[in-house]
Amino acid sequence: MKIKLLAAVVTGSLLVMSSLAHADRLDDIKKAGVLRVATFDSNPPFGFVDPKTNKIVGLDVDYAKAVADKLGVKLEIQPTNPANRIAFLTSKKVDLVFANFTITDERKKEVDFSTPYFASGTQFIAKKGTLKTPEQLNDLRVGADKGTTNEQQVRTQFPRATIVAYDDTPFAFAALRTGNVQAITQDGPKLVGLLANVPDRDKYEIPAFTISNDYEGVGVPKGEPRLLSFVNDTLKDLEANGSAGHIYDQWFGPKSRAPLPRLYKIGDPQKS
Amino acid sequence: MNDAFSAILANVPYLLVGSFPDGPLGGAALTLVMAAISAVLSAVLGLAGGIGLAMTRGVLHTILLAVIGFFRAIPVLMLIFWTFFLLPVLLHINVPGLATVVAALALIGGAYLSHSVFAGIVAVGDGQAQAGLSLGLTRWQSMRYVLLPQAIRIMAPSFINQWVSLVKDTSLAYIVGVPELAFLANQVNSRLMIYPVQVFLFVGLLYLILCTSLDALATRLLLGREAVAEPRAIVTPLPVPIQHRK
Amino acid sequence: MIPINGWLAPKYLTWLLQGFGMTLGLSALVIVAGTLGGCLLALARTSRIAPLRRAGALYVLVFRNSPLIVQLLFWYFGVATLLPEHAMTWLNTPHVIDLGIFRLHWPSFEFVAGWIGLTCYSITFIGEEFRSGLSGVPAGQHNAAAALGLTPLAAFFHVILPQAVRISTPPLFGQYMNIVKNSSLTMAIGLAELSYSSRQVDTETFKTFQAFGVATVLYILTIAMLEVVLVVVQRSGARTAVRR
Repeated sequence: MKIKLLAAVVTGSLLVMSSLAHADRLDDIKKAGVLRVATFDSNPPFGFVDPKTNKIVGLDVDYAKAVADKLGVKLEIQPTNPANRIAFLTSKKVDLVFANFTITDERKKEVDFSTPYFASGTQFIAKKGTLKTPEQLNDLRVGADKGTTNEQQVRTQFPRATIVAYDDTPFAFAALRTGNVQAITQDGPKLVGLLANVPDRDKYEIPAFTISNDYEGVGVPKGEPRLLSFVNDTLKDLEANGSAGHIYDQWFGPKSRAPLPRLYKIGDPQKS
Repeated sequence: MNDAFSAILANVPYLLVGSFPDGPLGGAALTLVMAAISAVLSAVLGLAGGIGLAMTRGVLHTILLAVIGFFRAIPVLMLIFWTFFLLPVLLHINVPGLATVVAALALIGGAYLSHSVFAGIVAVGDGQAQAGLSLGLTRWQSMRYVLLPQAIRIMAPSFINQWVSLVKDTSLAYIVGVPELAFLANQVNSRLMIYPVQVFLFVGLLYLILCTSLDALATRLLLGREAVAEPRAIVTPLPVPIQHRK
Repeated sequence: MIPINGWLAPKYLTWLLQGFGMTLGLSALVIVAGTLGGCLLALARTSRIAPLRRAGALYVLVFRNSPLIVQLLFWYFGVATLLPEHAMTWLNTPHVIDLGIFRLHWPSFEFVAGWIGLTCYSITFIGEEFRSGLSGVPAGQHNAAAALGLTPLAAFFHVILPQAVRISTPPLFGQYMNIVKNSSLTMAIGLAELSYSSRQVDTETFKTFQAFGVATVLYILTIAMLEVVLVVVQRSGARTAVRR
């Protein structure tokens, strides 16, 4: 008798606790007063450390700040490299991922994506004059980042290329500089930002071809529809009131270190 | 060379404490904190494991050996992957990155120390254990009052070695985004881009200072003023000339 | 509960096995080079020439007290910037030595840097084990050898060394196991060994549990094999225990 009663009490409290545990993430964020976001820390101008303040700043950080401000909470940044993005999200260490996160069907099985806020294509950096056509890649050693779509695309489209994957883009670039690899691959805008900050940028070039068309969105945990629609609404508002353009200008505008024309606005139709 | 020097010098405060106090503690300070917590936890686990090995027999002993063996066989990197990626999924709770690394290091350190503690207890000798028992102490009491104090003195060098390598193993936390010294060194190197030799040499030097001072401090505390033996030459004497006997 | 959503496709299992092969190859080469280097280091640290002893002590101080990951990053990224450009080009072009029966491929720079870095690190610990072995041989043995008329060199090779090796065999195998485990750090410099491959499989298939599970099992099997070899080595041959 006593055991049955104990079992009933335990089961009952477990049920109550588990339903409490399924409180919405959006509510949790508001209650905690803090939005935890994963961003890059070594990828200008998306997310990098400002040497003067030792804080992480960048395009992705500005978008994250906009969401946090709209929620009325503080922003807490967890620096990440491409390989750890999904792990941080699925193990609940962060609430959102703002790290130039490319949207793919495979990834959609693990995480949800917001409406895209950036568009790019996979490109390459090589020493001047060495890479002219995509077909050359089959004979080269190509540096990539672990856990990125760029690596997967190069592997699928150029099966004879030797791919060496590093933990983050600056490592790959260091390998390019020393000659360990002959080209590195990443999203075009990231490569532009990388070269802008390198002292010997005259030795390198970004060949004009791309091998893909990608869209980047905010990573949202699966099963949080209210959080997802909140992020989507915030992004659309930012575009509507011009803040999105403003943020873009600050990092990629004509006066920035890495000027790039803005070809994609939030809400534009995606070309498949 | 001067540019490199001044560039690195400008980053020294960041490398030492991270973005504290504007952000979480990082850099060398975080390394020390993580090493300290892991050291305490692994000492506790090691004592428990060692005493367990000494006091159990049969199936329980074998199971304990197997568990300890598992943690001595798995690479630290893999265990950090496990605790970081899968522990939160299994336990349905949010485990901060710092805790996962400390847990992994404590488990591995504890496994190694269990063997050292066990070896120390065995080295104290059966005679002491039996003397304790013949004095009327229970097995647990003789363990606590007779064997352990002597064993700890024998095992102290092992403990110190383990703690020093803990400081080095914290450098693996960079893989999961914990902002300790190696992680920040990589960040700084990625930003400066053209001074990898200088940055890594400097960080290596920082670790060297940390480890050697920790070693000296711990040896002094645990073993008094007994200095670690200088390596001495091993000299085989020249052959004795065969003398004619009268 | 535990998220097992199907087994890994054969393509990914192949990746893992290739990574495992790389781990085994790297570990084997480091074990060979490290044992030789460790011998030399132990001899240096116990020699009669004081500068040699001090050089050995300095080597141990530097390589023992800095993390392996920093050393590997230094060898791969740091040293690579110090070498002249044509040296780097030569190191990175695949060379093939045709030996008739089979062809030896020049390994990638990641492999070479990993090999050098791991060997330098492991030499410190293996050297220490050999040194303990040497000092573990009772002093009486040295005197007995001299009394028998053996020169110091002959005494070393026929009397001291065999006993020292016997004493240091178990901790030596412990260091070999550490070498296998430390090889996992070379994933940071782009070497496609087992940990690297398990991470790759994880980021592509999201089957974290399976990918890391296979890698962990393979590591533990390798360590277990080394334990078995140790037991066999200790029990074989005409070995009489050193009695004090």
